[in-house]
Amino acid sequence: MLSNFDFSVILTALPYLFGTGMVFTLSLTAMAAVGGVILGTLLAMARLSGIPGVWHLAKGYVELCRSLPLVLVIFWFYFLVPYIGAYVTGAATPIQVGAFPSALITFMAFEAAYFAEIMRAGIQSVPKGQTAAASALGMNYWQTMGHVVLPQAFRNMLPLLLTQTIVLFQDTSLVYVLSLTDFMGAASKVAQRDGRLVEMYIFAAVVYFAICFSASLLVRRLQRRVAIIR
Amino acid sequence: MNYNWNWSIFFEPSPEGTGTYADMLLSGLYWTVVTALCAWVIAFTLGSLMGVLRTLPSRTANAIGTTYVEIFRNVPLLVQMFLWYFVLPEILPRGIGDAVKQMPDAPFYTAVVCLGFFTASRVAEQVRAGIQALPRGQRMAATAMGFTTAQTYRYVLLPNAYRIILPPMTSEFLNNLKNTSVALTIGLLELTGRARSMQEFSFQVFEAFTAATILYVAINLVVVVCASVLERSVAIPGQR
Amino acid sequence: MTSSPMPAPTAKQPAVDSDHAPKDAGLQAGGLISGAPKAVAGETMIAIDAISKWYGDFQVLTNCTTRVAKGEVVVVCGPSGSGKSTLIKCVNALEPFQKGQITVAGTKVLDKSTNLPKLRSRVGMVFQHFELFPHLTITDNLTIAQRKVLGRGAEDAKKRGLDLLARVGLGAHAHKFPGQLSGGQQQRVAIARALAMNPVVMLFDEPTSALDPEMVGEVLDVMVELAKEGMTMMVVTHEMGFARKVADRVIFMDRGEIVEDATKDEFFGSPRSERAQTFLSKILQH
Repeated sequence: MLSNFDFSVILTALPYLFGTGMVFTLSLTAMAAVGGVILGTLLAMARLSGIPGVWHLAKGYVELCRSLPLVLVIFWFYFLVPYIGAYVTGAATPIQVGAFPSALITFMAFEAAYFAEIMRAGIQSVPKGQTAAASALGMNYWQTMGHVVLPQAFRNMLPLLLTQTIVLFQDTSLVYVLSLTDFMGAASKVAQRDGRLVEMYIFAAVVYFAICFSASLLVRRLQRRVAIIR
Repeated sequence: MNYNWNWSIFFEPSPEGTGTYADMLLSGLYWTVVTALCAWVIAFTLGSLMGVLRTLPSRTANAIGTTYVEIFRNVPLLVQMFLWYFVLPEILPRGIGDAVKQMPDAPFYTAVVCLGFFTASRVAEQVRAGIQALPRGQRMAATAMGFTTAQTYRYVLLPNAYRIILPPMTSEFLNNLKNTSVALTIGLLELTGRARSMQEFSFQVFEAFTAATILYVAINLVVVVCASVLERSVAIPGQR
Repeated sequence: MTSSPMPAPTAKQPAVDSDHAPKDAGLQAGGLISGAPKAVAGETMIAIDAISKWYGDFQVLTNCTTRVAKGEVVVVCGPSGSGKSTLIKCVNALEPFQKGQITVAGTKVLDKSTNLPKLRSRVGMVFQHFELFPHLTITDNLTIAQRKVLGRGAEDAKKRGLDLLARVGLGAHAHKFPGQLSGGQQQRVAIARALAMNPVVMLFDEPTSALDPEMVGEVLDVMVELAKEGMTMMVVTHEMGFARKVADRVIFMDRGEIVEDATKDEFFGSPRSERAQTFLSKILQH
């Protein structure tokens, strides 16, 4: 029962949970989100480019990522990245990549598929007349995209991109399967060490809830503001 | 690259002694599918109920539905999995808690309940969106004809809402299927977990993961095909 | 035929009876409201007593009072936003109101003990956007409420539904879905669907304003027929031609108030209020 719920366990673990765990989680989330959006936008553009080969490849990549569980993809990259590293650097043996870079590459590559779908919808939400007007002014493809289409697409899709980032924030907890020390990993390590599963897991749930819920409220407010501007 | 490919590994016996590595992966696939289907039953019923609650003209009903969705949507699935598996038996009265801990196939039942409740929050959002997408006049017309609230939902709103949300529900179903892999953390012997064991036993990393990847893509295709057949069979002539 | 205890509404009543005596014979054979007892003039069917309604601070209806007698056809008109649609939706409590009372066929609408679904099943309503149920065939649209609300057997319900469908001229379309019919056809089905419930009164909320112009006529024809058969009707519409043809009384609303409540002849002959005059001149110019 909860009668022997021990708050002091949580208190003493706080520096470790936040100083080590949450810092890992937040940096991973932020960097994977930025990288994922950039990569996703490129994928979306490739998919909409209509260039044979290019759009097939982009579509294949997005569909493949979206049909695989994140846990499997984490395993894939965990074992694949050293080989890719060896290939890129020309080394003879798989090179050791740190836990954080490995996780970052995984999440960037995986979430890019989801961001790509959002950006594709965003690009398609910009009226065709805008592209026509940009072309009429003499802009080339990259100028049209960079100055006219993408800024509007980003603004239209901002709430969705942020919602997906909240999902990404939750997803990072799955690095647990690699025994990395993100927030959840830290909580679970303390839980195992002190035999305090109830306290640590309930606390972790409360922290995740507080962060995700407040973030989603902010996104909703932003959504209303965007809706009014439009 | 100096990796030793060995595709015949699948036909070699696994160290568990229950068959080949291929058998091991296929039994993983079986548990993935069974877990996903059982969880979907909970997700669909509970999610529909919560979604309907959010559209009723009652503050209490709205509050219940909203609270449910917010709680289950804002805590990572892994954390929820641990709460069900490690924490729940501890905070239940001792007798029941012990019984739960000793239950055979505990990882399976836990995964089903956890995924069911988790996915229900997503289903609820879809159902709510579907009902709200219907013209307001539909509810009025049903009410004007003397339907009670329950009849209005049963005969008018839900049959239309489910048709509208069939595509997003398909992707929720696929998410639910993929999410079964998170249950490997509590010891469910599903596909990803089995591929990982195969890698640990045989060191043939990429063969194991390639096979799992192909199996996931295959079930995805099956689900997508089934969904489009379903979509066509419930399509209403003359609409859109 | 007893003479009316109410002054204005029933001026036309005796004339209707003599005018349409031959039609009455056809009423059993092919009328839209088969089996309904012929109207007894003067009996109040809808009594709206001093109702007021607010959306938050905004008052949408102010102290509206009127009566609709059995067999009477009352047209409600007025500029958009005047509250006419809201008023008609108050009659079967689709819109709640905060003050006053409405009594339909002796049943108080704003009363805790009133069984609203039962009351509504006796009040037919036709909507601006038809609101046929898109996932059901025309036959099912006609029968579902008969079966689920009135508890009629499937065969009875179907017979009555198809009967009415034939009488609105759409007998050949029973197996189709609403999306396969034109707007005018859908609205005729919607009228048949409401009539299938054997309503004691019919409410029409701008039944022709969502229709393409060439389809307005077919719907109005059905409504005229219904009026001639003695159905009690309350109709929100801009179709002044329809009002001239069959209305007994015209109610003019503006800014949530009933500004004018007069017999048809008075209304079109010499509307008293300036607002009604302005409205009429705008509407009849074209």
